[in-house]
Amino acid sequence: MSSRVFAPASLTPKDNHLLAALPEATYQGLLHFLEPVPLPLGLAVVESGGAQGYVYFPTSSIVSLLYVLADGASAEIAVTGNEGVVGIALFMGGETTPSRAVVQSAGYGYRLRGDVLKKEFEAGTALQQLLLRYTQALITQMAQTAVCNRHHAVEQQLCRWLLLSLDRLSGSELVMTQELIANMLGVRREGVTEAAGKLQAEGLIHYSRGHITVLDRPKLEARVCECYAVVKREYDRLLPDPRSLAPRARARI
Amino acid sequence: MNRERAANSLLAVLPRKGYQLLLPRLERVTLKFGDVLYHPREAIQHVYFPIDSMVSLLSLVEGHLALEVGLVGHEGMLGVPLALGVMDSPVRALVQGSGTALRMTSAHFLNEVRHNRPLQRAVSRYAYDLMVQVTQTAACNRFHQVEARLARWLLMTRDRVRSNQFRLTQEMLGSMLGVLRVAVTKAAGTLQKRKLISYSRGEISILDSRALETAACLCYQIVKVVPAVTRA
Repeated sequence: MSSRVFAPASLTPKDNHLLAALPEATYQGLLHFLEPVPLPLGLAVVESGGAQGYVYFPTSSIVSLLYVLADGASAEIAVTGNEGVVGIALFMGGETTPSRAVVQSAGYGYRLRGDVLKKEFEAGTALQQLLLRYTQALITQMAQTAVCNRHHAVEQQLCRWLLLSLDRLSGSELVMTQELIANMLGVRREGVTEAAGKLQAEGLIHYSRGHITVLDRPKLEARVCECYAVVKREYDRLLPDPRSLAPRARARI
Repeated sequence: MNRERAANSLLAVLPRKGYQLLLPRLERVTLKFGDVLYHPREAIQHVYFPIDSMVSLLSLVEGHLALEVGLVGHEGMLGVPLALGVMDSPVRALVQGSGTALRMTSAHFLNEVRHNRPLQRAVSRYAYDLMVQVTQTAACNRFHQVEARLARWLLMTRDRVRSNQFRLTQEMLGSMLGVLRVAVTKAAGTLQKRKLISYSRGEISILDSRALETAACLCYQIVKVVPAVTRA
């Protein structure tokens, strides 16, 4: 696959913050095994219940972790972008996962074979520390999503979701249908339409044919529930600061 | 102490040598109903391996009751963030079921987990299980009816305290399930009428666990405690 697939020349593994934060020697050791992969919208990177062979480091895409219930209902429990890694069951020792990982915003990423990752992880290098801290940040995001789903209005959840997604992209535009957002939030589509309409009427966002543009981020941040800040604070605290990473990565942020 | 080793499943999966290394660092403590072991964003002082106690992990959100995102008993431990390289707790840890636990200072635990590979593996694996539980709890809270959730919660509690009888206030239950107390009262009343449980003065007894499993949502099947030895 790697022989046919080329990430845009402007992207490197260092566009993923975890990979960028690795000591140079560790990074060079892994480089050979990191395969660029396109991550098109809707691709299931990890299937629920299935064994997985790779972990994915998104660079320009966002992957949604969805829980899937026995009756087929599903909703998003967390998002992962260039700050993280998808497929943590592999190094945490879980055989299978009840959640699905689906590409929510198309782009690219790098994948790494499970056995390579496991070996590196078990060796207790800097990669292990980064992955573990990311895991803790992810657990916090999941717990906060649980609370948000339970207690907050759809409109606030939508604001949270937009902000978390934007933090993981370079621009201020998302390609997303209302139906998909409804699936992510686990609510009915009408609920999303109403909430998005309100935000649009107040000039916070512009929504047109599957494109959402955030027009006024400060207002969106004022509108969102505390859940966004809780998650962001934990991520900022626990994960490598992209501004302090290699110049190559910094230039693109 | 050997009896206690078997009594916490996470410690029980360690090879004897790995466990013996830990032994001098473990202190037996009694946890009392209502004790708060961790506060959000405060440094973790001790890790705990429950034996017959049970601890609820609660996420706090302004203006609402705390919401339970995880439940820890003899199958696991408290203090997972330490093993992931984080020194404080994101959640409040509240003792739900009085009982005993083995505890270790954070400094000792950090040192052990760095050098004791089997412990490292067992803790990683448990951290993952806990994550599955958080995910499933979120899903369940979102989509399932209070009655099914209550049944799930009662079964999860039973698994963790290894007893069909335990103490519980309806107010706490509301917090566990993220609903108003009246909704809990109603759901508990229905289960009681169907003779699946009996509830009196904060004491809950499971009368018919098979029927209770049927009443619970399928989420229970995912988070129920599978004996660690059969999983290895």
